[in-house]
Amino acid sequence: MSSREHILSRAKANKPDLLELPNLDLNVFVDGRDLIKEFKTKIEVVGGNVVDVVVKENVISQVSSLFPDTKANFSTLEGTQDFNTISLEALNKPHELEDLDILILESDIGVAENGALWLSDNQIPIRVLPFITKHLVLVLNKENIVPFLHQAYQKIASSETDFGVFISGPSKTADIEQSLVIGAQGALSLTVFIY
Amino acid sequence: MNHSKAASIFNKDEKKVDWHDKALWFVRHKRDKAVHAVEGWESLRNYGHGIKAHTLSNLDNYLIQFEENALKNGVQVHWAANGDEHNKIVHGILKEHNAKKVVKSKSMLTEECHLNPFLEADGIEVIDTDLGERIVQLAKESPSHIVLPAIHKTKEEVDELFQEHLGTKPSGGDPQYLTGEARKHLRKKFISADAAITGVNFAIAETGGFVVCTNEGNADMGAHLAPVHIACMGIEKLIPKQEHLGVFLRLLARSATGQPITTYSSHFKKPVNGNKMHIVIVDNGRTEQLSRPDFRASLHCIRCGACMNTCPIYRRSGGHSYDATIPGPIGSILSPGKDLTKHSSLPFASTLCGSCSDVCPVKIDIHSQLYKWRQIITKETPQPFVKKTSMKMMGKVFAKPMQFERIGKVARWSLRNLPKGVINSKPNVWGKERDLPSGPTESFDDWYKKRKDNEQ
Repeated sequence: MSSREHILSRAKANKPDLLELPNLDLNVFVDGRDLIKEFKTKIEVVGGNVVDVVVKENVISQVSSLFPDTKANFSTLEGTQDFNTISLEALNKPHELEDLDILILESDIGVAENGALWLSDNQIPIRVLPFITKHLVLVLNKENIVPFLHQAYQKIASSETDFGVFISGPSKTADIEQSLVIGAQGALSLTVFIY
Repeated sequence: MNHSKAASIFNKDEKKVDWHDKALWFVRHKRDKAVHAVEGWESLRNYGHGIKAHTLSNLDNYLIQFEENALKNGVQVHWAANGDEHNKIVHGILKEHNAKKVVKSKSMLTEECHLNPFLEADGIEVIDTDLGERIVQLAKESPSHIVLPAIHKTKEEVDELFQEHLGTKPSGGDPQYLTGEARKHLRKKFISADAAITGVNFAIAETGGFVVCTNEGNADMGAHLAPVHIACMGIEKLIPKQEHLGVFLRLLARSATGQPITTYSSHFKKPVNGNKMHIVIVDNGRTEQLSRPDFRASLHCIRCGACMNTCPIYRRSGGHSYDATIPGPIGSILSPGKDLTKHSSLPFASTLCGSCSDVCPVKIDIHSQLYKWRQIITKETPQPFVKKTSMKMMGKVFAKPMQFERIGKVARWSLRNLPKGVINSKPNVWGKERDLPSGPTESFDDWYKKRKDNEQ
């Protein structure tokens, strides 16, 4: 018998009688919080920065003033050809992104309870981009903030995603004596622009 | 070596024990703060428990569904009955792709299967990329905690390790500097890796995808740069639908470190064009545990480590004293199912205070399972002479109330009047690390009766 058959037959023989799958009542979680305020607070709690902008078009100029000395820049925002100093088409392999200083991506879901932003293959042209960049900037419309992860998954379920990630804050570690250090293997900083 | 002997080695350095205790209590405290801020937390725990219990009760069908969808997604699926087969499968995949350099993101399953030495024996370089894991790997140790692998190491010890292996400057243990140096060191490894191995936090039957959670971004740096990604999962990682992640991702990080969610929760489903993705589904004793009605709920575990952080024994004995891949309370109910003789002392490494069950995000009845293992172990494995005899004697004393009262009187008198040297003599293990209280003049029984009289 193959290991597959072996495992499946043992799982079948050893499992208990079928138990019902619980129905989730999302009303039990409602806490009446101000979504935008909560979202911003949580981003700061997890080590990120929040910037309010009136319109999306202002993001690039704000980024340029926040990060004046960056060399390798890339953005997926419309009309940012002048900002982009690298071309993804010119890359032979993702490893060449190692020197990327700043990356701007758009997210279409923000989660108030934990300050996480959803990115999927739709928004990330090369999967390693938001992890390998030194500084990550995410842009979100405040209409797209949902209270909890449950509502985020209701939105995600409708789209087919090959790869997706919730990002909440910059890369961090506390593996040396529980001292929190921002900037482990992924992005050193996260700035979220909300419009 | 049994747990108490191994713990006594850890206990030799009293200062370090205090420090270890405080470090973990700090994390437990952060967990409390995070949890109390969530409306409906108890409902969330009930849902977590219910979803896991349902999944186990339909496990074979969910495994088939998961495999079917993963194959549709272009992922190759492998099945391993035990750790050895898991290692051979992983090795086979690496050979097939001629991979010599492997970056691994933290996976307790590959620890459980002892994958690293297996691959290293064939000249394959395996680099653990989670900082804590890299620290213990450099120290040639195993993780002492499932979420905080190097929690037993002081920053000065890390400083010395890095000086020796990474050529860093002496920094007195500056975490910022050391983390920065580790980042540079690991970047080189990520860039040059031929393959990446990750664990799996949750596998979704409905989509054939899986989720990996990290704070450092190491799983993603590995998996997205290397042409081959191998994900290793125990069969108990399954959940039915993607929407159920809403429950588990809310529970996991809050319980683990008090964070509202890990920095990165990555949802892998399909490989990018030209790259390969493999999933290895591992049993290694899990279906056996599934057959035990009293203990199968241990398979609900989502590996948050909350039970370790809260356990008064774990905090004072250190993870290594459990001599098992998964230490602490949850490890103590998982391990005896694998090897009752080797792990027979673990269910006794508990005060049965129930704190582990109280913090468990998926409501595993850990302390009652510890108690149940004790019954089995006492029947089935030889017990130390002193313990066996004293238990028999205690049984006889408790059986006769008059006798118990007489002996109680002698004991109370002795505690008040005998010199410390006699009370804390060698056979009295309770006096080993502490002074016993001075004996009260009356028994609880006397006090209770008097109180009743006064009330009337």
